[in-house]
Amino acid sequence: MAVLQFENVSYLYGADTPFEKEALKKINLTFPEGKIIGLIGHTGSGKSTLAQLMNGILRPTAGRVLLDGEDIAAEKGKLAGIRARVGLVFQYPEYQLFEETVEKDIAFGPKNLGKSEEEIRALTAEACRFTGVTEDQLSKSPFELSGGQKRRVAIAGVMAMDPEILVLDEPAAGLDPGGREEIFGGLRSYQREKKKTVILISHSMEDMARYADEIVIMKNGEVFAVDTVGHIFENAELIRQAGLELPQITRLMILLQQKGVPVSPGVHTVEDAVMEICTQWKGGM
Amino acid sequence: MLKDVTLGQYFPGNSFFHRLDPRIKIILMLLFVVVTFFAANLVSFAYLVVLLGVMIAVSRLRLGVLLRGLKPIMVIAIFTAFINIFWTKGEALLVQFGFIHIYAEGLWRALFMVVRIVSLVLGTSVLLSYTTTPMELTDALESLLSPLKKIRVPVHEFAMMMSLALRFVPTLVEETEKIINAQKARGADFESGNVLQRAKALIPVLIPLFVSAFRRATELATAMECRCYTGGGGRTRMNQLKLHAKDVAGLLVSLFILTAVFAFNQIPLPFGVL
Repeated sequence: MAVLQFENVSYLYGADTPFEKEALKKINLTFPEGKIIGLIGHTGSGKSTLAQLMNGILRPTAGRVLLDGEDIAAEKGKLAGIRARVGLVFQYPEYQLFEETVEKDIAFGPKNLGKSEEEIRALTAEACRFTGVTEDQLSKSPFELSGGQKRRVAIAGVMAMDPEILVLDEPAAGLDPGGREEIFGGLRSYQREKKKTVILISHSMEDMARYADEIVIMKNGEVFAVDTVGHIFENAELIRQAGLELPQITRLMILLQQKGVPVSPGVHTVEDAVMEICTQWKGGM
Repeated sequence: MLKDVTLGQYFPGNSFFHRLDPRIKIILMLLFVVVTFFAANLVSFAYLVVLLGVMIAVSRLRLGVLLRGLKPIMVIAIFTAFINIFWTKGEALLVQFGFIHIYAEGLWRALFMVVRIVSLVLGTSVLLSYTTTPMELTDALESLLSPLKKIRVPVHEFAMMMSLALRFVPTLVEETEKIINAQKARGADFESGNVLQRAKALIPVLIPLFVSAFRRATELATAMECRCYTGGGGRTRMNQLKLHAKDVAGLLVSLFILTAVFAFNQIPLPFGVL
């Protein structure tokens, strides 16, 4: 396992042009190990920039990104090693598919890392299991698949590199609820089974509430709040200040509380809400 | 790396060049190119450099931006300079070392070639690409070429194709960068290996790029059809190009300034200086 740390990291886009923009301002952040961390924030809050700094695709304008205490930009030649340890799935990753078959495309990453045929086969099979890519799809051309299927193949392609930290930028953007569920569910079982660190970037509070353990809220290029899911959603005011919406179920619970029903307003998944209401119901009987 | 490509890049501003009628700018740019090629001696080249300095100052573009735009052509400039230094034969021999002969004429010619290349790129970018929006540019082209409609040249279609191409340059650059990054994240290596290996490493970039370019083209065609685009006939525009008195004045003054080069070419210079 590995610890990812940001130390005073700033990032500037388009330096020295009229379009100069500071995307990140002095970020200090440590990502806890072996958890699903949800990175949320309004559009333009710097989430995607943060993601691309994690494996050296972008270099910080100032500050350091540390992996297990070592600066990832210290040596140029080391970046390949960093990318093997921190896997990054970009937004709309289905546009990166290029191979003749799905199987070959998933194997592209591990092959670049110099893994053996056997290892690749095992890693591919495992990644397919978590992402829900079926056996019969493996021999198809990735361009024959539907959008959601392509997305899963692309995620499998990074997962098969067996990184210690998996970072996904909006992995479910533009998918229907069923597709979202499958992708996030798969990622959660991947995390629980392999005990790896998964960093999810999203602006969907519902998804984050359901699947993340810890939440990092970004606002205007700064870290606005870091806490566990439970604590974050108890603080409705904080979330509004970040320009985000509370999950619908949490809003319902707050309304119930205001109407005099003694339920906890920190509930953020439908299952918990059911439990909470049932307890209240029984208690009142 | 790809962000250095400045083709079709517009930098917003409100300078003289930004406000000048784009048709005049195209004419001036063509003239500037011609004049650059006609400059033949030290005086006219020095004049060209001064002129360029004034143009850059008037355009109020940042020097750093302009210099970055020069980066891609630096290789060509250095290569031409090199060829000119070593392969020009003349009278004033400066260095002789084995089979290498360097003449004063070669040095002058190399210097002139570099100035010429640099001023071509800077001049056209100050006059046109940095200070004119792609829309203005294509409207101006269509307007300048419209006499050709009489002989049934599909001028509007050409202009539309050009504006679409220009419109998609930044999009494709951005897309290429995204795909390169995505493949880098998958451990692709674009920086090492021999020429063949490097060319091969580009396949994972080129295939997705082509696929998405075709997808975009189809989507764009559909979107244009949905908005009832049927070609140039009967189309009106939101911004009509109109020549103002100051545009004409600008043209005349610039004509005078540029053609001065022909006069400077006549000034005789002392021995050894071309």
